[in-house]
Amino acid sequence: MKKIVLKRLLESIPVLWAIVTITFFLIRLAPGGPFDREKELDPQIQERIEAHYNLNAPLMEQYTDYMGGLLSGDFGPSFKNASSSVNELIAQSFPVSLELGFYALCVALLIGLTAGIIAALKPNSWQDYTPMTLAMIGICVPNFVLGPILLFIFGINLGWFPVSGWEEAVDKVLPSITLGAMYAAYIARLSRGGMLEVLSNDFIRTARAKGLSETRLILKHALRGGVTPVIAFLGPATAGLLSGSFVVETVFQIPGLGKLFVESAFNRDYTMILGTVILYATLILILNLISDLLLTWIDPRLRNA
Amino acid sequence: MMSLLTVDNLATHFHTRAGIVRAVDGVSYSLEKGQTLGIVGESGSGKSVSCYSLLGLIPMPPGRIESGSAYFDGVDLLNASKDELRKIRGQRISMIFQDPMTALNPYMTIGAQLMEPLLLHRGLSKEAAAKRSIDMLEAVGIQDAEQRMNAHPHQFSGGMRQRVVIAMALITEPEILIADEPTTALDVTIQAQILELIKSLQEKNGMAVILITHDLGVIAGICDSVAVMYAGRLVEQATASSLFHSPRHPYTHALMKSLPSMNTDGKELYSIPGMPPDLTKPIEGCSFSARCEHAIEACRDDIHLHTIMLNHATACIRAQKGEL
Amino acid sequence: MPNTSESTYEVEQGQSLWKDAFRRLKKNKLALFGACFLIFLTGISLITPLIAPYEYDAPDYRLGASGPSAEHWFGTDLIGRDLFTRILYGGRISLMVGFVATAVSLLVGVLYGATAGFLGGRTDSVMMRIVDIMYALPFTIFVIILMVFLGRNIILLFLAIGAVEWLTMARIVRSQILSLKEKEFVEAAISMGLSRFQILTRHLIPNTLGPVIVYTTLTIPNVMLLEAFLSFLGLGVQPPMSSWGLLIHDGADSMLESPWLLIYPSIALSLTLFSLNFLGDGLRDALDPRVAKD
Repeated sequence: MKKIVLKRLLESIPVLWAIVTITFFLIRLAPGGPFDREKELDPQIQERIEAHYNLNAPLMEQYTDYMGGLLSGDFGPSFKNASSSVNELIAQSFPVSLELGFYALCVALLIGLTAGIIAALKPNSWQDYTPMTLAMIGICVPNFVLGPILLFIFGINLGWFPVSGWEEAVDKVLPSITLGAMYAAYIARLSRGGMLEVLSNDFIRTARAKGLSETRLILKHALRGGVTPVIAFLGPATAGLLSGSFVVETVFQIPGLGKLFVESAFNRDYTMILGTVILYATLILILNLISDLLLTWIDPRLRNA
Repeated sequence: MMSLLTVDNLATHFHTRAGIVRAVDGVSYSLEKGQTLGIVGESGSGKSVSCYSLLGLIPMPPGRIESGSAYFDGVDLLNASKDELRKIRGQRISMIFQDPMTALNPYMTIGAQLMEPLLLHRGLSKEAAAKRSIDMLEAVGIQDAEQRMNAHPHQFSGGMRQRVVIAMALITEPEILIADEPTTALDVTIQAQILELIKSLQEKNGMAVILITHDLGVIAGICDSVAVMYAGRLVEQATASSLFHSPRHPYTHALMKSLPSMNTDGKELYSIPGMPPDLTKPIEGCSFSARCEHAIEACRDDIHLHTIMLNHATACIRAQKGEL
Repeated sequence: MPNTSESTYEVEQGQSLWKDAFRRLKKNKLALFGACFLIFLTGISLITPLIAPYEYDAPDYRLGASGPSAEHWFGTDLIGRDLFTRILYGGRISLMVGFVATAVSLLVGVLYGATAGFLGGRTDSVMMRIVDIMYALPFTIFVIILMVFLGRNIILLFLAIGAVEWLTMARIVRSQILSLKEKEFVEAAISMGLSRFQILTRHLIPNTLGPVIVYTTLTIPNVMLLEAFLSFLGLGVQPPMSSWGLLIHDGADSMLESPWLLIYPSIALSLTLFSLNFLGDGLRDALDPRVAKD
């Protein structure tokens, strides 16, 4: 196990490095960048930047400077926000997004797993068709459609939930559901498929022949195999939740990193963009590693591969 | 004295898109304590399905037990409640399946799977169950049993897995063991070891065994009585010695003829001409008549199993009349 | 049961694989609905300039935003443009992006996957490891960055979106090729005297084609979703062109006063995604008889 972790960590470092480098050079070389002298910057910011980055130095030196700064944990000053550094901005907004993502994941797992497992236990019945059709709807109604619609019905018309903000618990319901809905749908389909596949295996028949109750059969024998596709999906799901947060935070006016990222993309706040990309990439790589580790823990056959 | 198990007119049909497959079409037999009954036949004869039906292991759509009863200790297995069946399965009647590679749960340790029936059915403590499991592993010939308890199935070879499956079935000392081709994956020495183990349990506890196989050699080795199945029906039933001494059904005859050991003159191996019948179509009269070299007009009439000698019954009307 | 009898069966049945699949597909009502709707949609998208009641860019300031009426079936937007027309035109763009970007990902994916599968060995392992790693990356983020910095070019949009989706296609094609290389029925077919060409056409191609078709059908909605997502954020299709994503964005803005501006484009997009997904699912079930549906 430890070997796998080490191997993956070692693999991740060059990947991360590649991402940062590509993004860095993309930004520096793109037309209309801040380092394009035609663009006018707020003089305060201009000062800070010039103080921080030696813009007259050759590109490679700027690069090594930036990387050096990174290694000491410094993402640099924001290009748009005169008073804050990227570190500060991220520190403020990231926890919010983390919370949103966590709730959304919980929603997705809870609803998805339950629906999928029940559907698998009674294939081709209404307990199968109804959740699966709802799941299809969840996949086909994108979160930027679902969000405004939920807002409209429950926030404005019925007034059950507030329209924006992220203070009270009640604020958090609609956004979490909006973000989690699509993943609940995918998880439902994946767990149904996984369970059906496991239940068709011979060893389930052996377990039945041993006189096990259906409950024990499902929980102890079938579940582990059935959940495997869901765990494998966690990696891409995280990536999706991240990008989904851009929309959801925008629609519900939540002060999270996603909204900030989109704004900084538009505002061409380069350091902010770079910082966010690095953070996101790291997060996803870590979560993929966790997902893979979980897979090997569940399926002993993968352990020595 | 009442038999341990009395199966009467069991019929199991599968309702598929291609038609109703009459996999088992009216099979009756009885099993005594300590007796070993061999059920022999080619693939598709219904021998496995008939036994799976006893424990309710047939997938119920598309399968359906159309008729029959199977009395075990006063309970009709075919009409028992789910709870009753569950208490019997694994504890009083155990089953060994054909394919050892897929019969074990790849996600659980061998030990966990072995201890499960003990913890559930016998209420043993974990330590007692573990000890018993280790003993059982040793009895089936697995070395280093204690370490092996924590291993997973994929770490074992096919032969070892089959031995674990057998251990798992025998661990609760059931009254009936149903074994579906239990020794195909094993080499001859292990085969002998396993059959010895089963025999010793029979002597100790009076365990009855139903052995499903296509291998007449195995039958000859350990079975007391034999039932020959063809196309879902019983065509001959006798004690093993009586069957081998004087088979009284053309199909049994043909089976014996096709044994490699019977064809020692170097000529082509005998194989039964023709194909097994389509089980979706109702069969008129004797199911074997289409391929039988002794068939006559009367073979198309209703056929029943009749006792023609002591402990020997056949469904062939010509044999019943003494013509064969 | 020895594999040769299986493969004899397969060789004989090879050609009726499609007929069989088609029969199964016909039974799936949802998939049929999806297929019909798509044909209908593609049809009207092609002839949109002929049938649109208004110019997609013709404002009518007197009307402003008005609800559905006899003249304007879906109502009008803030500057009086007919929504029905805009949805028709937006659909053309959305569908075009869907098809073209899918074609890009198909091309890249098939080439990459076939190469990896065909070459096998270490090359294959390395190529697949790259895919594994890329799978984990937040491509959407990269696309966003690309779109911001390299301009809002529609061709770039095709390429960027296509670049996101090719990974799974590569995996599918590669695993198909790998398994086909090993399949005993190829040997059996050779031993039965089929020429290489016959094997190629009757077995290898039908066997790869199936999953590729299924996955292509399922990629189109993902691509359309990505485009709509980008357009919603303002990074995709740019005005004066319109796509459903853009229309939904505008609709969400004026959701309170003119809900129809949000509802109709949303329905159009969702219905299309539904159809594609149901069709794709249906194709998958039809082509893979082992999938336990009934």
